[in-house]
Amino acid sequence: MTARSWSLGGARRLPATLLVARREIRMRLRSRVFVGGTSVMAVLVVVGIVAASLLAGRTTPVRVGFSGGSQALERSFTATAAALGVEVTVSDIADVTAGTAQVTAGTLDVLVTGSATAPTAVAKESMPSNVESALSLAAEAARLSDAGLSPTAIASAMALVPVQLLAPPNPKDNENLFASLALGILLWIALGQYGNMVAQGVVEEKATRIMEVLLATIQPSRLLAGKVIGTGLVGLLQLTIVGTAALVAVHVTNVAAIPALGVASILADISWFLLGFLFYATAYAAVASLVSRQEEVQGAVAPISIFQIAGYLLMYAALPNPSGPLATVCSLLPPFAPILMAVRMADSDVPFWQVGLAVALIVASIVGLTWLAGRMYRNAALHLGTRVRFMDAFRG
Amino acid sequence: MGPLTVRGLTKRYGDVAALTDLSLEVRAGELFGFVGRNGAGKTTTMRIVLGVLAADAGEVTFAGTALTFEARRRIGYMPEERGLYPKMRVAEQLRYLGELHGMTGADARASATRWLERFGLQERRDDELQSLSLGNQQRIQLAAALVFAPELLVLDEPFAGLDPLAVDVMSAVLREQADAGIPVIFSSHELELVERVCDRVGIIDRGKMVASGTVDELRAGARERRRVDVPGAADDWDAGVPGATLLESDGSSRVFELDPGVDDQSLLQAALATGPVRAFERVEPSLGELFRTVIGEAGA
Repeated sequence: MTARSWSLGGARRLPATLLVARREIRMRLRSRVFVGGTSVMAVLVVVGIVAASLLAGRTTPVRVGFSGGSQALERSFTATAAALGVEVTVSDIADVTAGTAQVTAGTLDVLVTGSATAPTAVAKESMPSNVESALSLAAEAARLSDAGLSPTAIASAMALVPVQLLAPPNPKDNENLFASLALGILLWIALGQYGNMVAQGVVEEKATRIMEVLLATIQPSRLLAGKVIGTGLVGLLQLTIVGTAALVAVHVTNVAAIPALGVASILADISWFLLGFLFYATAYAAVASLVSRQEEVQGAVAPISIFQIAGYLLMYAALPNPSGPLATVCSLLPPFAPILMAVRMADSDVPFWQVGLAVALIVASIVGLTWLAGRMYRNAALHLGTRVRFMDAFRG
Repeated sequence: MGPLTVRGLTKRYGDVAALTDLSLEVRAGELFGFVGRNGAGKTTTMRIVLGVLAADAGEVTFAGTALTFEARRRIGYMPEERGLYPKMRVAEQLRYLGELHGMTGADARASATRWLERFGLQERRDDELQSLSLGNQQRIQLAAALVFAPELLVLDEPFAGLDPLAVDVMSAVLREQADAGIPVIFSSHELELVERVCDRVGIIDRGKMVASGTVDELRAGARERRRVDVPGAADDWDAGVPGATLLESDGSSRVFELDPGVDDQSLLQAALATGPVRAFERVEPSLGELFRTVIGEAGA
């Protein structure tokens, strides 16, 4: 049986927290909601990326055909085009009429005819200006060569003007914007989804009355921790599956550059997910222990959802200027750090002390929340029926 | 093992006193029945024993030492509000609870199998709990309290809602556990059942223990009763007998309760004076009658 083959600790006694986490993982992995949900999410993400790649269109190289004497230009044209930043493919065209027909049909972008020193270009609707420049420069080099200049003299005569930029754009800026935004949205969805999962698990135990059996043998804080850890690991697994599908799709369709996806940045994202999850899941569990029915969960977690939504909106406000005061301050605050700091780190270089401070603050908050949640859990967990007021649960 | 000793428990909910200086003792190998009206404090007492509720004052000891959290994990508990995971498989659920109570995975699995066989539910082991009939779910609930071989059993209304067959199974299992030397305490409204099954009984009213002991001991404290059958007697033949209160009459047969110190011979003489006496016998009050008397006195 599957349950037996991957069970832990046949002859050992496992700590209660681990037992709770293991049960949580088993039940979730077995549920149709998880299997179906993960499949649907992966398919949606892949479809979205493929659709984006089709809409955006790929930057295809310009196809240039050379016929007759102009074929002598092919090498220098390709080199010049590369220097000008145009991607080209060159081919030999035997027959001008056939070449013209190809241009008309759209299977060839530019047809070059005539001699090497006086070529003529044929295009359908427009001539890409960089291609025109590259062709002109190649023809000019050919004429200089005809005039008797050595290749070295030609090269120095035709050298491009060096350009110096005083404020070059951060290469991470544009390249990473797409990925940072995607990462932020993914984190936001994941935190909400798995936080809600924990909240529903807590209410399930209250609603089915098993809570009292459990609390007679396990401390509330351990029950809570086991639940949060188990759900978090399931969430991480789901994110990994969906994330892998997304990366493969991006790689195959080449819709965007996969930015700096070093081990370090993946670890940073996973760490922010886990910290954010611990923060929100503990808070969700605490408020969920105040109610007794699944229908009441949404209302109970609403105050916490507001922080999450605020974090999501702040992400859009902060992304254009990831090092500005708004982004910097908000990314240090525990409720927003998991999304904002992760996005900032992906988008730009964040000073080390800021990352350290944000981590310290959120870890301290998680410790505090766990204490608070354990207390509320103990006082509210056995109270069935009407909703428990926050202060009553807190005081006990 | 044992005894379980509860001494001087006091618990208040706001202005309401749920328990006042409540004490009881359940000895090893003893079935202790805990009876009282709704809201008398039975569940509160049991929750305090289990540590899911904190008392304002008083102490709970087991075998002479205060119950620590670790010791409480050895208590088999069935709360009044029944509850297990509806969507979890039966055997897996029992095994999980066994492990939570400190068993190894292998022991828990073996014990779950034993209890499922005992209740004839072995072939349902991989079914979700919610697919079982209500009666079978109750058997699983009992198995959940027993799966880790507890050293003490605390059961809140274990007979509530059971069908007659399940009642037999439940009482047999409880007897068995007590005979194995485990103190067993359970609450119930079924006074006849408590009288039949229990070794000792505690009656609780408004948070106070008003009587406790074997049913015989409780009877010893109660007033004497006599049934007198005088066919063809005058209606008011018993009117002049001092210290005898008529409790019930059924045709010519009447049951009297005698005040303390009253000689039953004066009742017999009054009966003989009205006609031929066909029966004159001592009647044992049932636990239910004792209960009503005790509660009535406490309430007065």
